[in-house]
Amino acid sequence: MAETSAAEQPADVLDQYRRAAGLSHGDLWLRYFELGGMSNAMELEAFLYGALQPSPHDREVIAHALNERFVELGGNHPVPYSESDTVGRRYKSGQR
Amino acid sequence: MTTAKDPFGQFAVTVGVVNARAVLAVRGEVDRVNAPELGAILDAVIERHRSVVLDLAELGFMNGWGLGVIAARASRLKRSGGTLTIRSPSAMVLRLLDITGVAEVVLLEHPDPRRGHLGAEQSSAIADALLGTEPYHLPPHVGKITAIPADTDVVDGALRLVVALARATVGAADGVSVSLRRHGHLATVAASDQTISDMDASQYATGEGPCVDASVKGRWFHAESLDTETRWPTFTLRAQALGINAGLSSPLLAEDRPVGALNIYSRTAMAFAPKDQELASVFAVETSLILTSAGVDVTDEQLSRRRSETLWARRVLAQAEGVIMERESVETDDAYRMLCDYSRRSNQPFRECAQDVVASTQRPQFDPEPGPKHSHNG
Repeated sequence: MAETSAAEQPADVLDQYRRAAGLSHGDLWLRYFELGGMSNAMELEAFLYGALQPSPHDREVIAHALNERFVELGGNHPVPYSESDTVGRRYKSGQR
Repeated sequence: MTTAKDPFGQFAVTVGVVNARAVLAVRGEVDRVNAPELGAILDAVIERHRSVVLDLAELGFMNGWGLGVIAARASRLKRSGGTLTIRSPSAMVLRLLDITGVAEVVLLEHPDPRRGHLGAEQSSAIADALLGTEPYHLPPHVGKITAIPADTDVVDGALRLVVALARATVGAADGVSVSLRRHGHLATVAASDQTISDMDASQYATGEGPCVDASVKGRWFHAESLDTETRWPTFTLRAQALGINAGLSSPLLAEDRPVGALNIYSRTAMAFAPKDQELASVFAVETSLILTSAGVDVTDEQLSRRRSETLWARRVLAQAEGVIMERESVETDDAYRMLCDYSRRSNQPFRECAQDVVASTQRPQFDPEPGPKHSHNG
């Protein structure tokens, strides 16, 4: 997925990552919940589509849930951990 | 007919009257900036009309601000005996309406199914409802999909296609196979040739090898060079005897449970470049989606176990946070962030990090600054 600044990202950028990771909404919610996420499945979907704004903590948990899946597939933290971040990209270009 | 536009030309509303109903056609994006304008237009229309149609066929995007404006007007119209009809809502808008309960106070209409915006993830109930021209109420459980298990032959055919495509597109691939758990046992359901199939079979028999580990653990395993490989001694000897020197097994998931692996083998050591690894990952993801759609061999017991594991992991996470809070004198959020950083730096799954922290209460120290590790590929 091309890297863009937060302002250029489509509203459903997190959902695009979810699709790239091959996770259903239910699968991702289960992983998000396991990592301490407190929002329900419908709210999570709304975050993914950009319809609701997740809290910084929720954003981090969602990013981590997606990144763990990418790591399972041999990738390396492609999802930024916050909208201004850089940590995800740093990891992406890091060790593999 | 009147039209309102924002200065950037993205948002536009066209108002007309058709068959005694006021029809507002919305184009572009409705967000925090222009939602009040949409609200003002709706207010003006509602003053003169009891039956209002909001046509969203040309809507590009709408967030919670737009939805709030619509919800308020729909409730007001309903209280005064009128109706607000949402025409041609996109999949995203349908979900928003359901999530927020706005679906309860509006009517939905889709005059031309060929213009539908439905994606693959829409429930058949909605799709069926949209085929009619009469207004209808949204079904109560949007998004519930009834999976129909696909015929085994169809699934196997799709997997053979995956193998053929992977063989043709992954440059370093000399052999490809798909391992799948069927009736409790791993089996090769598609392979590029008999040698590859035999090599998989020997891994199942010994319980050792990258394809077995990827299928069981749900993570990728990359044997870059069998000359230096130490994780699977029996597999390594057998593979080298058959002329194989590198292997890459990517996990296949159905309902987020590992059910098999996509295995790519090469005669050349260090053959799989990052691009090949990415391609393998893409094939594994798409194959997982096929398997999930087909409802492949995932039992209620497995799903139940997955949910139990999730609850257990939450418990360990809470314990780990408590340990870090006590040791570092920090609040919950900071403890979580430290754990998250630890997971990212060590490239280790979060649940394993939490287990490490909890286990460290039996040891003198937990190191919050580990060096990079390659736990999945080491």
